[in-house]
Amino acid sequence: MKDIGPIFRSLLRNKLGVILIALQIALTLAIVTNAAFIISERSADIARPSGLDESNTAMFITNLFDSNVDQRQLYRDDLEAIRAIPGVLAAAPTQSMPISGSGWGEDLYSNPEMQSNESVNFGKFMVDEHGLEAFDLELVAGRNFTPDEMVTRSFEAMELPKVLIVSQALADSLFPDGDAVNKTVWDEPNGEQPMQIIGIYDHMQNAWPTSENVNRTALTPEISLFGGQMMYVVRAEPGQLDQVMQAAEAYLSKNRSRIVEIVRSYPEQKSRTYSRDIAMVKLLSGVIVILTGVTGLGIIGLAWFSVTQRRKQIGTRRALGATRGDIVRYFMVENWLITSAGLAVGLVGAVGLNWFLDTQYEVGRVPLWYLPVGMAALWLLGQLAVLLPARRAANIPPALATRSV
Amino acid sequence: MFSYYIRLALTSIRRTPVLSALMVLALGLGIGAFMTTFTVYYLMSGDPIPHKSDVLYAVQLDNWDPNDDPTESASDVQPQLTYQDGQHLMNADTPAIRQVHMYGSDMVVVPEGDDPPFNENVRATYQTFFSMFDVPFIYGSPWDKRADDDHASVIVIGRKLNDRLFNGENSVGKSIQLNDGFYQITGVIDDWQPTPRFYHVDAGRRFSDSEQIFLPFTRAIDLVLGPNGNTNCWAPLDDSLPVIEAFLKSECVWTQFWAELETPEQAAAYKDYLDNYVRDQKQIGRFQRPLNTFISNVREWLVVNRVVTNDNRVLVRLSFLFLLVCVLNTVGLLMAKFLGKSGEVAVRRAMGASRQAVFIQNLVEVATIGVAGGVAGIGLAWLGLKGIENLYRGYQHLVHLDPVMLATAVCLAVISAILAGLYPVWRVSRQAPAGLLKAL
Repeated sequence: MKDIGPIFRSLLRNKLGVILIALQIALTLAIVTNAAFIISERSADIARPSGLDESNTAMFITNLFDSNVDQRQLYRDDLEAIRAIPGVLAAAPTQSMPISGSGWGEDLYSNPEMQSNESVNFGKFMVDEHGLEAFDLELVAGRNFTPDEMVTRSFEAMELPKVLIVSQALADSLFPDGDAVNKTVWDEPNGEQPMQIIGIYDHMQNAWPTSENVNRTALTPEISLFGGQMMYVVRAEPGQLDQVMQAAEAYLSKNRSRIVEIVRSYPEQKSRTYSRDIAMVKLLSGVIVILTGVTGLGIIGLAWFSVTQRRKQIGTRRALGATRGDIVRYFMVENWLITSAGLAVGLVGAVGLNWFLDTQYEVGRVPLWYLPVGMAALWLLGQLAVLLPARRAANIPPALATRSV
Repeated sequence: MFSYYIRLALTSIRRTPVLSALMVLALGLGIGAFMTTFTVYYLMSGDPIPHKSDVLYAVQLDNWDPNDDPTESASDVQPQLTYQDGQHLMNADTPAIRQVHMYGSDMVVVPEGDDPPFNENVRATYQTFFSMFDVPFIYGSPWDKRADDDHASVIVIGRKLNDRLFNGENSVGKSIQLNDGFYQITGVIDDWQPTPRFYHVDAGRRFSDSEQIFLPFTRAIDLVLGPNGNTNCWAPLDDSLPVIEAFLKSECVWTQFWAELETPEQAAAYKDYLDNYVRDQKQIGRFQRPLNTFISNVREWLVVNRVVTNDNRVLVRLSFLFLLVCVLNTVGLLMAKFLGKSGEVAVRRAMGASRQAVFIQNLVEVATIGVAGGVAGIGLAWLGLKGIENLYRGYQHLVHLDPVMLATAVCLAVISAILAGLYPVWRVSRQAPAGLLKAL
């Protein structure tokens, strides 16, 4: 490390060049840490489990346009036919899918005196007794619906469900002391529309990925006949989803009183819902790759040039007994010094940029451990980038020093 | 002289191909990335209806749950209206020149013959819609006011649907089947795609296609055509009434309401009118929150609804910093390059070229690199926008290279390159020739 002194003094003679690279490193650190942080936040959101058997589940939306068709009967016929398709594990009617962006939200009151701002909101899925299996939910307490608990909502008659099965998260919000099964809850304030919790399942997300209480959901045994839209969730045996989707679509399309609007696997739906987050992840990953590339190439370019400039110097040093290793080390140490200076500034920049992005655009605070990791990565980048020009410098023959003097 | 400088620049660039390529690449990448994100931002925050955006106002009434958090700005209030309030305003004699009450839905088009039925988005609206939003017609005209009053089965269709059903021929007067009814076409509109689709800015549909079918609102209600956008309710429906009636009389918000107000005085009078309406409604027990009515013109409305997302802004900021890195990179490389040219500059100076001439000559070289970087940047921005189109759903109408953006890209490139090159060029033209000549 005795070289540091002369290297440092020679750097001082080219202040602008040093400042330029150091600034570049500083900005790179600031951008990379913030971008990496946003990427990890978004990836974590996308990776949250929906609760479904995702890769084996599909959704179907059809639109009935002939008002003479008995819609309630069509539901029965459809479900019977879909369940008979080989490879179908379970099928249920539903009016929404988890993390699909479109769903039904309601509020529950755990006692009749509660005001509307004390109620607990949740995402509701209207299914039948096959809903638990189709959504791949595990009953942790209580029981499933029975067929006679099914009610129908329509323009003619508004039957309301008397029972519901809630997610563990919703049970915990309603009854923090536990033991939610068999408790009565109210769908409206002032003790109106009582319902009994008959079971608790492990976990399912609601329809809106950005909602604060995404894990509060419930199943109710009902079918709603407003408008001609009908929706099914179908769970296939592993590896059978493609065939099941084709067969179910072929069946649904046979009825000329309706059109089949959407046949979509659940992973496809999920990637649609998260398309903005996925886009952000891809764009920022691109930024990181290109940025480190540009910075790395910049370091190579400058070092290459400085090697050319110092050919005679290097030749002289070699002639005076410096080994190739000494020359390589010289450039590595030089780069290490510049990078370190840049990283020192970059630390402030990274924290400042994050503060700005967080206060202005609510991206969240970068955990501190990102900084040392980012610094280590840029040190490594600098050292790798300078290696090539440094080795070229080491190959300069000592004889060069004696020429053209 | 200029063409001679250009020739010199090209010679010099050819002499250091790797270094020059690096500079062009760095500038191109920086400009490409920035232009991509900035184009998206610029188009998102663009004015979808420039000649009328200051006279078209979205209406908001704060009919929400009295127990909810207090309202601080228009962004805290529901962006849609209840059916009952919208209908009251629509039928009242307000200070507005024109008003429209509407919602989005969908219906199944059943073509004649063997073609399979298909779904189309429908806008249930009033005939005022077309004149308020300056919708261009290729055939026919909007339905008349009587059709609104008579709940008539008439429609206006879009060019795409007309192409599909009638091969683009004039279809005015013909009827088509929607769901299980027939509707007579009164007009065909040209492609009309306001971006963002300001008149109905439900999240997720802001950049989607405008509708291909327009139907009288009054008829749509008779058909019990449900809204396909957001419907939000805070109070239970009155269960003593039939479901539809209870829904129409409920506090659920699901319709969009716009007013055309030409002068600030008219806007103020309209706002007063809304305030008085809400005060009257308070008498009968509705609107239990503090009095809050908002009218926002198109530009304000896009801000209220946060059409430009934080993601867009973050990307613009980060890509600007990225551009800065690329410029710094180029400054460094130019410094290196020009210091290497010291000898050549010294010879030119010694042979009589003035400092100014040397300065300009080298600046031409820098600008050449800038233009090359700009061209590369435009190419990369084009690729980037293609990528954005694939990454984001529903950006198809949004993403294109605008002429303004193209010009900006070139200017940005040349300015960045000149800024990047100014100091190196100045440095090299200041050098005393004598010392350098000796060193040659």
